[in-house]
Amino acid sequence: MFQGLTFEPFSLPEEAEAIRGEIRQFLADTLDPNELPNSDFNAGDNAAFSKKLGEAGFLGMTWPEEYGGGGKSFLERYVVTEEILAAGAPVGCHWIADRQSGPLMLKFGTEEQRQHFLPKIISGDYFFSIGMSEPDTGSDLASIRTSATKVDGGWLLNGSKIWTSYAHTNHFMVTLVRTEPPSENRHAGMSQFVVDLHAEGVKVTGIRNLSNEEDFNQVFFDDVFIPDNMVVGEPGNGWEQVISELGYERSGPERFLSAFRVIVEYAREIEGNPTDEQLALLGRLAAHLVTLRRMSISVAGMLEGGKLPITEAALIKDLGNTYERMVPELVRLASIEKPSRRFIDTLNECVLHAPSFTLRGGTREILKGVIARGLGLR
Amino acid sequence: MNEQQQLIKDTLDRMLTDLCTPEVVDKTEAGTFAKDLWNALAETGLTVAGLPEGSGGAGGELEDSLLVIRESARYAAPIPLAEHFVAGMMIAMQDGKVGHEILTVATGDFQVDASGKVTGSGEAPFGRWADRIVFVADASGTAKLCVMPTSDLSIEEAMSIAGEPRDIITVDVTPDGNAVMTTDDDSGDKLKLMMVAVRALQMSGALESALELSVQYAMERNQFGKPISKFQAIQQQLANLAGEVAASTMAGHAVTAAFRDLDAVDIAIGKTRIGEAVSLGTDIAHQVHGAMGYTLEHTLNHRTRRLWNWRDEYGTEREWQVMIGQAFLKGGADTVWQAITERR
Repeated sequence: MFQGLTFEPFSLPEEAEAIRGEIRQFLADTLDPNELPNSDFNAGDNAAFSKKLGEAGFLGMTWPEEYGGGGKSFLERYVVTEEILAAGAPVGCHWIADRQSGPLMLKFGTEEQRQHFLPKIISGDYFFSIGMSEPDTGSDLASIRTSATKVDGGWLLNGSKIWTSYAHTNHFMVTLVRTEPPSENRHAGMSQFVVDLHAEGVKVTGIRNLSNEEDFNQVFFDDVFIPDNMVVGEPGNGWEQVISELGYERSGPERFLSAFRVIVEYAREIEGNPTDEQLALLGRLAAHLVTLRRMSISVAGMLEGGKLPITEAALIKDLGNTYERMVPELVRLASIEKPSRRFIDTLNECVLHAPSFTLRGGTREILKGVIARGLGLR
Repeated sequence: MNEQQQLIKDTLDRMLTDLCTPEVVDKTEAGTFAKDLWNALAETGLTVAGLPEGSGGAGGELEDSLLVIRESARYAAPIPLAEHFVAGMMIAMQDGKVGHEILTVATGDFQVDASGKVTGSGEAPFGRWADRIVFVADASGTAKLCVMPTSDLSIEEAMSIAGEPRDIITVDVTPDGNAVMTTDDDSGDKLKLMMVAVRALQMSGALESALELSVQYAMERNQFGKPISKFQAIQQQLANLAGEVAASTMAGHAVTAAFRDLDAVDIAIGKTRIGEAVSLGTDIAHQVHGAMGYTLEHTLNHRTRRLWNWRDEYGTEREWQVMIGQAFLKGGADTVWQAITERR
């Protein structure tokens, strides 16, 4: 009777499971054992790792072969993504390009854009940021003020974007801008541009997060010229384009695995001689994780089948984020005697990143609004 | 859900809407068995939907019975559908037969001595209304499946917090030859796991119903000049409840899939995940219903009191979490992820 609460059982098909061994082997061979793994997709960037991932064929996996893509299914990509996150690999550089910018171009971009950008994303040479929020615009995305005016051969861009992860090291940013003044339809008149982060008039200022990293930024645009061929999709269609990605953005394994390495290190602390209390906590965390994963795979099946499960995706993100926040809070109280340095560092890193889990990609409050709409309350 | 199951669900919905009204549930609590309800379901074969034909069942899929059990919990059906099915499964495993009767199971401490005398006691849901009761007894290290007529037992009546019979049976009798059968040594575990599975599914059904009632109530109840469903505070609570219901439904699907081979880990995951959802979900459902939900007049209590009873039966969340923890820690910390991905 409600919309968006139906999660049919779905199993990853054999061909998707078949790729699991390959990616596990790749990660075992490639990851630096001296680096502390972190399953938060925003907690590490390593261009060399991303490049190797591309060379091994794990970037742009689902994209057509004519652009150098793997021509694989979305479900095969699901397996690769969850394995990479569970291993705690540094995915910050390629994450947005692979998950979002490439698919956006495939769906809405020009042939020229696809031919130019996709092969370089696939090879791990082009990294993308995403420009949505602004200093005065967070959850209320339709209130953006960054705007562009039409000039000969392109657009002149002015304004600023904030919380743009890795904009200081990435090459491009897909930026949502106003190309028409606000009208009665708040969602009309927005467009998506590919902004070269090294273009004249672009300035990037780092912002320190709680764990003292400068992974996100504020990006300023001062009369930046955007050539016409860098507009993605129809001018004015920006909002619809952004919305069309939400099913993918909110239902993936990155929405419930951010704290996974805390569970692994917790298991390492207790594996010798666990108390029942400690086993029960591991069991509880595993029961949640297995269930979330099944829900996420169920939505992956819907997406593969061409459906647009926006409410289901919001629900997974909300439940998943709540779980990610809960993991470190429970593990820290698990009476570990003489905790190892590795355990403490993993736990503390997670605690410091955790506030972002329920903010990025749609706050907890926005998601609950989406779910409430599915219940017919709004 | 396949076509057959959709048909079962639709038929069941119609029958339960007519025959499982709040008045019927209340009457049962006052001591009157819902005979019309049981008979109607029995006549259409829904009480034995998934039992093999050779054992007196309707010969459908296991999933059909599990669906009937889950859906009937949405209406708080006060009849031993779950117990009858599990008892029937135990009997079918020994090639026994289920007749036109009401079965239930008992769990506790039962023995069979060398002379064939059966002794012991245990708890039997709906025991007072059953014709035969199925339990597993220990005969000096080997397991025996006992299928005993209720007339051979003494029954001490007791009730759950949901007002459902949870009777204590005591056995001290040397029964006829075919009431005691040799069975697999793990039969006691199997019976318990099946009960864990059906309770998990019942909880998932009743919690879904609690969400439906809560949404409906929030839309009808006016305060400060508008339906309370228009307040963000209420919307956010109901969204949380919806999340717990969705997770429970998914965990329930996994329990259904795990039933055939009685995969203990997936059944345990269902019981503990849904059990957690019950704690959070019933809290929200009652908060949204306000004082009205705190009365025996409102039908919400038929769901929530059952939920609070079922989450405690056949092992609480905590008991099963220990078992799940052991299963995931078996290969050490570096295989936890592998163990997660093996749960398909």
